[in-house]
Amino acid sequence: MNRRKLLSLMGMSPVALAGIPALAEQAKKSDQTKKEGAASAGEPKLTVLNPRGLPPPITLIPMAPRLSTLDGKTVYLVSDGFPGADAFLNQVSIWFKKNMPNVTTVYRLKAGGFADDDPKLNAEIKEKGQAVIMAIGH
Amino acid sequence: MGIPSAPLVTKAFKDLAILNAAKRGMPHERICFTPHPVWGKTPEEVRAYVEGPDPVSGKPLMKEIVDALTAPLSDDEKKSGMVSVSVGPPTFTDTADNLQEFYLNNGYTDFLPIIIPTEEKVDAMMKGTSHKPDEAVGKMAAGAYPAWSYNVRQVAASAVMAGCRPEYFPIVLAVASSGIASLFSSTNSFAFAMVVNGPIRDKLEFNYGIGALGPFAQPNATIGRAWTILSKNLGNGGIAGDTYLGSLGNNLNYNNVVIAEHEDASPWVPFHVQRGFKKEENVVSLFRGLGVVPGQVARGSSANENVQFDYQMSDLFSTFTGFFGALIIADPLVAARLKEQGYDTKEKLVDWLYKNTTQTVKDYKSRNYAYLFDYPRALRGDEPWASWYKMPDDALIPHFPHASDINIVVAGGQTNAYPQAGNLSYGVSVSIDKWM
Repeated sequence: MNRRKLLSLMGMSPVALAGIPALAEQAKKSDQTKKEGAASAGEPKLTVLNPRGLPPPITLIPMAPRLSTLDGKTVYLVSDGFPGADAFLNQVSIWFKKNMPNVTTVYRLKAGGFADDDPKLNAEIKEKGQAVIMAIGH
Repeated sequence: MGIPSAPLVTKAFKDLAILNAAKRGMPHERICFTPHPVWGKTPEEVRAYVEGPDPVSGKPLMKEIVDALTAPLSDDEKKSGMVSVSVGPPTFTDTADNLQEFYLNNGYTDFLPIIIPTEEKVDAMMKGTSHKPDEAVGKMAAGAYPAWSYNVRQVAASAVMAGCRPEYFPIVLAVASSGIASLFSSTNSFAFAMVVNGPIRDKLEFNYGIGALGPFAQPNATIGRAWTILSKNLGNGGIAGDTYLGSLGNNLNYNNVVIAEHEDASPWVPFHVQRGFKKEENVVSLFRGLGVVPGQVARGSSANENVQFDYQMSDLFSTFTGFFGALIIADPLVAARLKEQGYDTKEKLVDWLYKNTTQTVKDYKSRNYAYLFDYPRALRGDEPWASWYKMPDDALIPHFPHASDINIVVAGGQTNAYPQAGNLSYGVSVSIDKWM
């Protein structure tokens, strides 16, 4: 499933997605499907409740400004602890040494549960790093 | 942090990664994908993945990562503001057959036929509580997602769909108010359980005798089912690839493990009293973990003139992940025998089990969950894991981090002396009376 369809299935409103034509198109198709499904004649009709809860609105977060180049920069390679992330990031580090030797890589295993923040590591990255590659293994 | 990042996710979690980033405010996050799985591969295989293409975009993976960190942001990527999320209109109108299909096709059910939640049936369900239809009940998320909120009417719709009677509704509300979804996003295929205590067990005719865990009574069956249906509808759980990732899934998710404790036949205090409630209070307690195993698999559980249930239970624990606790479900015959052995309180048995179910540090560290969940906690200094990781390999440590990870309830029909044990952690106990 592509990103457009996934996001439309989330129920993001067509109005909110006006700046993203493909998403608005998906949302429109979804509305049409609902109307077609409701068109049935001959039998008594019932009115039933939508059992869904209320999702919170989404606060859009502007992405961090990108770097013009990685040359001379320090990139943190952060594992969230899932199996295989460490080995994968090790190969990423080797790739940088071979192909972009001016990039410094620093490997770290994030402390705490996989979904927990690691404020100590975040502070270290903010002080010493310019970019992050975070690997979520399995 | 304000620092550019490139998330690297295996292909199996594509939908999850894209949707979760969007739900958290970054629908255009530059996620890079690797083949799946990456664990258990040789360095050469992993290197080939790194030097090969992103299996989603088809572009060279490392170029994509470098671009994710350096290509200028588009206008969409710089956007701020709020985006509303719609779940459709408050009501639907159609024929009964079409509505049955509609609920099924939209993922509102457990894929078994439902009672269609007409306005009349939902109104009747709400007569089971004194709480107002628009009163907020709680918030629920089926994992590390933004939580959804819901009111009494919305909970009632799911209770109707599951086949609950109005008099069951306070229990369903109590469960919903906990915010604990019975469907969870983990790849581990979690199972969930509830323990019901208090006079309501008899009032509603719960089965806690023969076949206590089986399909032999309406409240056991439908209240458990309601937990799963409301977890889908109110907590947005159970969407495969998005909010549900259990590789094999879990058959217990259909109606969960519903245990009404056999309080009268138990030699010990009921579970809710252990949690600080009065015996006459009605309480539901919720558990989460991986499932339930029968006691017959334990060593020494065959025809034995001197059956030792404590050793059997300890043996069962050896296959449990210590990430979750243990919930022993003891038939009254088992409980009576344990009392004869000297365990006149649940706490005494728990203490023995905690101290006598041990493992070496080496064995512990070899377990998947230790590296995955406990080691990062040890790095943070959390106990007992921080101490365990400093001990020598041959040191003996408890199987469970804390004695409180082991819980016991009594249920069953006394047709034979068999225990079962769940690799299940206690979560919370909620007053049912509050939702009457």
